[in-house]
Amino acid sequence: MTAVDTTETTVEVPARRAAPHKPGERRFGAGRIVAIAVLILLAVAWLLPFAWAIVTSLKSEADAGATPVSWLAPNGFTFEAYANVLAEGNIPVWAINSLLSSVVITILTLGTCALAAYAFSRIDFAGRRWLYVVVIASIIIPPQVLIIPLFYEMLAFNMVDTYWGLILPQVVAPPMVFILKKFFDQIPIELEDAARVDGANRLRIFWTIVLPLSRPILSAVAIFVFIAAWNNFLWPFIIINDTSLMTLPVGLQTVKSAYGVQYAQNMAMALLAAAPLIILFLFFQRQIIKGIATTGFGGQ
Amino acid sequence: MTDQFNLSRRTILLGGAAVLGSAFLAPTLSGCAAVGAGGTRPLKFWHLLSGGDGVVMAGLVDAANEANPEFRATQTVLAWGTPYYTKLAMASVGGRAPDVAIMHASRLPGYAPGGLLDPWDVGLLEEFGVSEQDFPPRIWEKGIIDGDLFSIALDAHPFIMMYNTDIAEQAGVLGDDGRLVEITSPEQFIEVASAMQAVTGKHGLSYGYLGDGAQMWRLFYTFYKQLGADMSLTPGEPAQIDKDAAITALDFIKQLLDGTVAATNGDYATAVAEFVNGESGLFFTGVWELPTAVNAGIPFDAQPIPNLFGTPAAYADSHAFVLPHQSSPDEDQRREVYRFVSSILKGSFDWAGAGHIPAYLPIIESPDYAELIPQANYASAADVLNYDPPAWFTGSGSDFQTYFAEHVQGVYRGGDSAEGIQGFERRLNVLLAKPNPVA
Amino acid sequence: MTTSALSSRAQAQAGPAAADTKRARQRSTNLAGWAFFAPFGIFFALFLVGPILYGLYLSFTGTTLTGAGGDFVGFANYAEALADADMWRSMLNTLWFTILSTIPLVLVALIMALLVDLGLPGQWLWRLSFFMPFLLASTVVSLFWIWLFNPQLGLINEMLKPFGVEPIAWLQDPQWAMHGVVVATVWWTVGFNFLLYLAALQNIPEQQYEAASIDGAGKWRQLFSITIPQLAPTTGLILILQILASLKVFDQVYQMTAGGPGGATRSAVLYIFETGFTGYRFGYSAAISFVFFALIVLVSIIQIRITSRNRGAKS
Repeated sequence: MTAVDTTETTVEVPARRAAPHKPGERRFGAGRIVAIAVLILLAVAWLLPFAWAIVTSLKSEADAGATPVSWLAPNGFTFEAYANVLAEGNIPVWAINSLLSSVVITILTLGTCALAAYAFSRIDFAGRRWLYVVVIASIIIPPQVLIIPLFYEMLAFNMVDTYWGLILPQVVAPPMVFILKKFFDQIPIELEDAARVDGANRLRIFWTIVLPLSRPILSAVAIFVFIAAWNNFLWPFIIINDTSLMTLPVGLQTVKSAYGVQYAQNMAMALLAAAPLIILFLFFQRQIIKGIATTGFGGQ
Repeated sequence: MTDQFNLSRRTILLGGAAVLGSAFLAPTLSGCAAVGAGGTRPLKFWHLLSGGDGVVMAGLVDAANEANPEFRATQTVLAWGTPYYTKLAMASVGGRAPDVAIMHASRLPGYAPGGLLDPWDVGLLEEFGVSEQDFPPRIWEKGIIDGDLFSIALDAHPFIMMYNTDIAEQAGVLGDDGRLVEITSPEQFIEVASAMQAVTGKHGLSYGYLGDGAQMWRLFYTFYKQLGADMSLTPGEPAQIDKDAAITALDFIKQLLDGTVAATNGDYATAVAEFVNGESGLFFTGVWELPTAVNAGIPFDAQPIPNLFGTPAAYADSHAFVLPHQSSPDEDQRREVYRFVSSILKGSFDWAGAGHIPAYLPIIESPDYAELIPQANYASAADVLNYDPPAWFTGSGSDFQTYFAEHVQGVYRGGDSAEGIQGFERRLNVLLAKPNPVA
Repeated sequence: MTTSALSSRAQAQAGPAAADTKRARQRSTNLAGWAFFAPFGIFFALFLVGPILYGLYLSFTGTTLTGAGGDFVGFANYAEALADADMWRSMLNTLWFTILSTIPLVLVALIMALLVDLGLPGQWLWRLSFFMPFLLASTVVSLFWIWLFNPQLGLINEMLKPFGVEPIAWLQDPQWAMHGVVVATVWWTVGFNFLLYLAALQNIPEQQYEAASIDGAGKWRQLFSITIPQLAPTTGLILILQILASLKVFDQVYQMTAGGPGGATRSAVLYIFETGFTGYRFGYSAAISFVFFALIVLVSIIQIRITSRNRGAKS
């Protein structure tokens, strides 16, 4: 994450313009008051599910399941639900699996895609053109239509219920090749020429010149890939049956409490699972937003 | 062939080999079952029992672990129904399945023939003191497919009726023996329920079914069988359904779900809450909700669902132990599984505490069990058990129940009965026309 | 590639030393290019190209989850799929979900971005509110909304009560279930589109507004004559991304309704999953996958057509 701090990105997000669109816009006219009201209403609506989840998670099960529905807890608020959830011991295991798999996926994706993108951007090798067309065309293939053959393939590789089966298929990310290539294309070739004159080989140039210049896009891609991997559901859900290998989203969906419908515990589990990324977001809000926006725009 | 092509191909092959090589390392990474300290073998045990069942099962597993230092079973509870069975099948195909799991006996035809389960060794079972004569014949036979034993029943769990004795008394429907008056007709049932509704001011009967095909099917099949009807599903042939009986059953259920006798849109959790909060007098439910009612501290009793249509019948299923297929089972590990199952069966008196009727005869025939109330009051339901009609796609939590829900939920909410059952029949015929994927 | 290599060999045989060095350089370039591509290429071949080809093969067989029934069945699976009412229903559900979700996901995102761009204090709070849900796993979103939508204990019905709305079984009633899933989806993912819009808004040159206000254009005029047209490329991008994302819906549906009630929310991907893993029919499921893939390609082509026509019209 330290790399992210020093980045400058191509997309300048929410650094507010100092001046409003039009002089006098700051006047509190009727339109502006309506706008503020709508904005507040939307924000409240969007925060409400979090608030309700938090309140529920802090109730006793009896209060959580009581009618009439209330924001208050007649029996007092308690951390019981969190204690019970953590006592089951699954959440930390799943969190570690999520972290491990997401980090490995991010590193592998970044590495393989950056190398390939550099090849497409800079190296005029035989077959480059059609290969690039194939890779770009494959963006249209939704991974969802591959679940059946991929599962079958994993059976053949003996990778069902393994970290490898979980991680490797998630590494293929043709859109990231596209995004990185576009960025590499913009780097002035003269910067590399100087190094080439000094006798540096391609890998060295790539490592010492191109990668450092590409930090903004690399961090953007890394953030995007990491979040996607952390939250991915379908493939991890298919390939992992062993509860000790599950990621947070899969474990949360698959493994149930032995003790029945537990509303407060459900919300406590959900919030615990949500916490890591949200905390990360609170710390790195600017970088994450830039990363998402940059990647979302296809690297522009 | 040029050099660069050779090289790239070699690179790809090498890379491929590296990836494949890592596949063989995978089992090490995935944490193979290793013998723990003091020779204790960890056993992975999957089941789908939550709620009251889950609590009791956790107790049984703990007791078995304590009594047997040879193994340590860890239970994993998965979401009930289709998600569980889908995962169980996927794990079995993957070859790294849990050591032992619980399935509904009604699901065997969809698992055993396809090699998703490994058969039990009857000889080894006997070594651990479990054999055929310890089970009611019908329940034991349910576990046999093509001559091999694939499941060992832990229980039979019928769909029954609970009632709040206080409300029944106030409604004047409690007999001198302190039990609910005998109900023998649909009309009488509605009278009784209405009398109770007058007491509670909310509903007379609690029954939750919204979005829950299993619940819809349980009640329907109870009445359908009470009407003396049969359903037979043979692949390659159209489904045999007694439609008149089905329509009668559906019409009656619709009549119950009128918003007064019972909620029109009751879901499972709401129905449970309603009954335990004393907001209704009667409760159609599986025996497994018994602990919930006990824990709520309400005055209640239980009995089989009254025979309203002439033939005593109850929908039921059995939780049964199975061996999910493993590509290379460890003999010693398997031995501990037998020890574990035997230990659970012998300790299954507590399972009756979860409401179920234990399948292991030495338990049912014990004097302690006869004194167990209200369990003993509905034990007679075991004599009129009806499992789902056998087919690869039927059974608890199956697509069969999902399809039933697809066509019948609308009926329960006031739609046309004939239309619902015909839609269901069409759906079954589509399934029956397809090749059996596990044959 | 082999042809070009052969021709370069022919050139080399011709003899000139210059051609020889050139050939050597080209060879080293080729080597480097493929070496750089190789790590990605291996993953690409093993986990994308391989499965596609294998899936195509499977779709012509009767293969099941257990590995049985691998006989070649020709186009039988495709014939069955095209006549399968449930498959068509799942495709229609998918399209319906796409329409229902895409419209609010674009409009609400735009409104959010326009309002936040007004420059009110507390920028970080607005962004946090709208974007935070996007960081959640689908499972968490589903847990939240299943609870909010609970017919008896849910906050939504409770909040509707003062307006005289009878409790609605949001996720259990076929009339409402899809809307329930859509509401949860909009809440979950609108933040992404919001960010893209916000970023685009910041890039609209200030001078345009200044010029317009000198010309006496009011704020509404500016909105429709400057802001919205300037956002058109962003809107196009968001639409493409959104439609493709919505077509692939699986997570929320599986988790919130499991495709129910009565198949009312079963999406195409869910049907693929069910047919393969619950119904064991891998061959048939693979065939449905390709039918669905064809639908996605079709939608993409239509989108590209529309986009390029719009561009053509503008230039």
